[in-house]
Amino acid sequence: MKIRRDSNRAFASRKIKAWLIISGFIICAILLKSGNLIISYTSSDRYCMSCHIHPTADQTWKLSTHYNNNSGSITHCVECHLPPEGHGYLYAKAKHGVKDVYGYYFKDSSKINWERKKLLEVAKGFVYEKSCLECHENLFPVMLSVDGSNAHLFYTTSNDPLNCINCHLNVGHFDRNVIHTHDKNFGVTVTKDITIYTEAAKVDRFENFTEMIPGSGVSFNMIAIPGGTFNMGSPNDEPLRDQDEGPVRQVAVSGFWMAETEVTWDEYLAFFRATGSQGRTEGQLVNKKNVDAISGPTPPWGAPDQGWGKGSHPAITMTWYAANVYCQWLSKVTGKKYRLPTEAEWEYACRGGTSTPYFFEGNPEDFSSEGFIKKLFRPDTAKITSRIIYSLNSSSRTEEPSFVKANPFGLKNMSGNVDEFCLDYYSADAFKADTVELINPKGPPRGQERVIRGGSFKSDAKDVRSAARDFTRTKAWLVTDPQMPKSIWWYSDCIDVGFRVVCEADSTIK
Amino acid sequence: MMQDINRRKFIGKTALAGIGLAGAGAVLSSCKRKNNDPRILGLPPILNFAPGGQKLRAGLVGAGARGTGAAMNFISSASDLEIIALADVFQDKIDACRERFASFNLPIPAENCFAGFDGYKKLIAIPEVDVVILATPPQFRPDHFLEAVMNNKHVFMEKPVAVDPVGIRSVISTGKKAEAIGLCVVTGTQRRHQEDYIETYKQVINGAIGTITSAKAFWNQDHVWFREREEGWDDMEYMIRNWNNFCWLCGDHILDTHVHNIDVINWFMGKHPEKAIGYGGRHRRVTGDQYDFFSVDFDYGNGVSSHSMCRQIDSCANGTGELIMGTEGYTNCVNTIWDLKGNVKWTFEYPNDEDGNPMNAPKIPPYVQEHMHLVYGIRTGNYVNEAEQTAISTLTAIMGRTAAYTGRLITWDEIFRSDMDLGPSKVEFGPVDMLFEIPVPGTPVII
Repeated sequence: MKIRRDSNRAFASRKIKAWLIISGFIICAILLKSGNLIISYTSSDRYCMSCHIHPTADQTWKLSTHYNNNSGSITHCVECHLPPEGHGYLYAKAKHGVKDVYGYYFKDSSKINWERKKLLEVAKGFVYEKSCLECHENLFPVMLSVDGSNAHLFYTTSNDPLNCINCHLNVGHFDRNVIHTHDKNFGVTVTKDITIYTEAAKVDRFENFTEMIPGSGVSFNMIAIPGGTFNMGSPNDEPLRDQDEGPVRQVAVSGFWMAETEVTWDEYLAFFRATGSQGRTEGQLVNKKNVDAISGPTPPWGAPDQGWGKGSHPAITMTWYAANVYCQWLSKVTGKKYRLPTEAEWEYACRGGTSTPYFFEGNPEDFSSEGFIKKLFRPDTAKITSRIIYSLNSSSRTEEPSFVKANPFGLKNMSGNVDEFCLDYYSADAFKADTVELINPKGPPRGQERVIRGGSFKSDAKDVRSAARDFTRTKAWLVTDPQMPKSIWWYSDCIDVGFRVVCEADSTIK
Repeated sequence: MMQDINRRKFIGKTALAGIGLAGAGAVLSSCKRKNNDPRILGLPPILNFAPGGQKLRAGLVGAGARGTGAAMNFISSASDLEIIALADVFQDKIDACRERFASFNLPIPAENCFAGFDGYKKLIAIPEVDVVILATPPQFRPDHFLEAVMNNKHVFMEKPVAVDPVGIRSVISTGKKAEAIGLCVVTGTQRRHQEDYIETYKQVINGAIGTITSAKAFWNQDHVWFREREEGWDDMEYMIRNWNNFCWLCGDHILDTHVHNIDVINWFMGKHPEKAIGYGGRHRRVTGDQYDFFSVDFDYGNGVSSHSMCRQIDSCANGTGELIMGTEGYTNCVNTIWDLKGNVKWTFEYPNDEDGNPMNAPKIPPYVQEHMHLVYGIRTGNYVNEAEQTAISTLTAIMGRTAAYTGRLITWDEIFRSDMDLGPSKVEFGPVDMLFEIPVPGTPVII
């Protein structure tokens, strides 16, 4: 009897178990099914756009070749912005989902810097190369052009990390400013109806003057920077400083003129028109000493001004070499001694007599957006915004000089807007060496890369401090240039470097 | 067919910078297990005849001696093969070729014969043409190859496949375009189709000489043909009739002939060299702008070099061939393996002829075997495409030539991306405004 009851109970519990298992299966199946539904629902274009309220994203997508094409096929949001299934699809979906939900509920979309999201390095974070290749299986369609074939050969054989969007950045969202070809007409047309200068400015006194480029209608202001001594580098207690900025030492520089602004497109195009060479070989035979036959840049690939406008926007993407040839040419046509500034001259001019992190009062930490907390609460940038073009106020592009106030010497955009080439080779411990010169120092005698200073529209507040140092990255800045040898005139992969000229004051100047 | 498409995808995804299956062979060589499966080793089939099937009609572009020979080789490789069209810059070449075919009772319709620089376009446009045989001077090959592939034709093309890096990149790209749409491409590097070479390669891959430590490749011969200028020939006609002596048309003899040996070394090494230093000079030539001799050190990395030499001067120590040295022996690549003491370890057994005497060559001449491979590929769907492999070997020769012409160290990257584009910008009859300076090493030359 006892046994029987036990077995009864056992039978009952087995029954319950069976029901539990069955219902478990059903629940799982429902969950699985609805999970799939949820995943596919949350992957539709409509769902994406219900939160992604970028002002132009859906219009530019509809204008792009991934929507508006002859074949009539449409590439949907998640087909580019998530990896293909089997390549971390769910993980990426969860990651972006959490980030986007947070952004949607806690961020003010009008304050999000959408322009910045278009930058290549940012776009790489949410455009998946595997997804490109998932659809574009055949990189060599029969009608592919010679340039296209060469570029794809380069892509398939290069040892450098190359992403499809290195070259095809705007295929998903149309950008009318992008030119995807050698721009043989670049800078050829003179847009303004202006008088042509026949003579350069005559200068015999050490004071501000306006230089006029003979043979062009272009002029620019040169500011007389009186010689003096200053503390070069940043003290150990300066917020956000880097090791390569010290130790601080007192450096003397002689007086010189410095251009009020970074070299503008108007100025650079005067040079380009006067010296531009069509073939590549000419350029390579430039004899550095022979200024009688200065051979200038070859036609650039695409639009070096990025479609942001030329005119008084700073000229960008020329190589350090090209900037130097520009100075040689400018010296030749004006009869003066133009060159790039030394690093010491640059920092002396930037500080304009100040020894604080910026040429105005302010703590770098207050303007920086680096760090988790800063990302949550956008810093108050009112003070810096009127003086420096940097990551938080730049719309991720260059601005004209009229946008900012000058520093105490009367120079504009020393900090921010575009990185500026210096003459010196870069060395991280250039300031530490025992042999550091203290009067008109010229930097290390040898090196690989050159110093760039001032930071750019891409930089954090940290990197637009007066003492912040940086350097050229020749290899990375030419990574998608498929030529061998690569261009000596234009960087293919750097859009925020330019330069500023100085003019030497020789003994004839009073 | 499905299997073949998968195989092609596999190739596409694993091929290292273009060495294709030869690279896979090199990977396999590190395995201890013997492997003789020709498909895995990337080896062409050895056939006594190509299979029958759909009728294949071919057009010949470049109807000179080699072109006519190649066309003959093509039709003798299987049944139901025809030559139905000819194109050549010169009418007299077309006439001679057509007569030759007529003498075998193989008439070629006159309306399918096209003279002039654009004759190839008209030939390729003929819808009935299934296969195009490209046998002009190599200067023109890249354009002809592209035209053929754009018009959906299978291709047999002679080596070398270009004369400069611009042409090489074009051929590699066109090869990939052909692969994407399933067009077969076989090139005239016939050693790769030669049974004795193939069997020797299998021995080497399976460790018969251990790990390869060095190599030698040589093509030293008497002077070759040249033409003096005849009355009535303008600059262009003269150069094309004497094409073998102008670098922009021929690529110099380090490409024209020595590329065969260079190709064998690349094949056995399983890769192309990383850089080259070389010498060369000119003492005996009468016409043109090319060298008489080259001596190039091709550096394959890790201390492995191949000494490449070629010369075209009478009454010298002549001979052609290859030699590859390994840690356990060496081979002449064609039929024999020796151990390090010089004892023969293995030889290829040649078949007997009809009288029962041993022959000194495979039964099917390699010049026919390569066409059998093409027909086999087209008719059975066992896809073949040798464009890239031969482009890589041609570029290896160009790297050697440039090293000799300039005296400089030339790296693979440099030559692969070089802008060098030989020849006039426009190819047409009439005067040609070009300087034909003999290259002098050590003078600044932009490559």
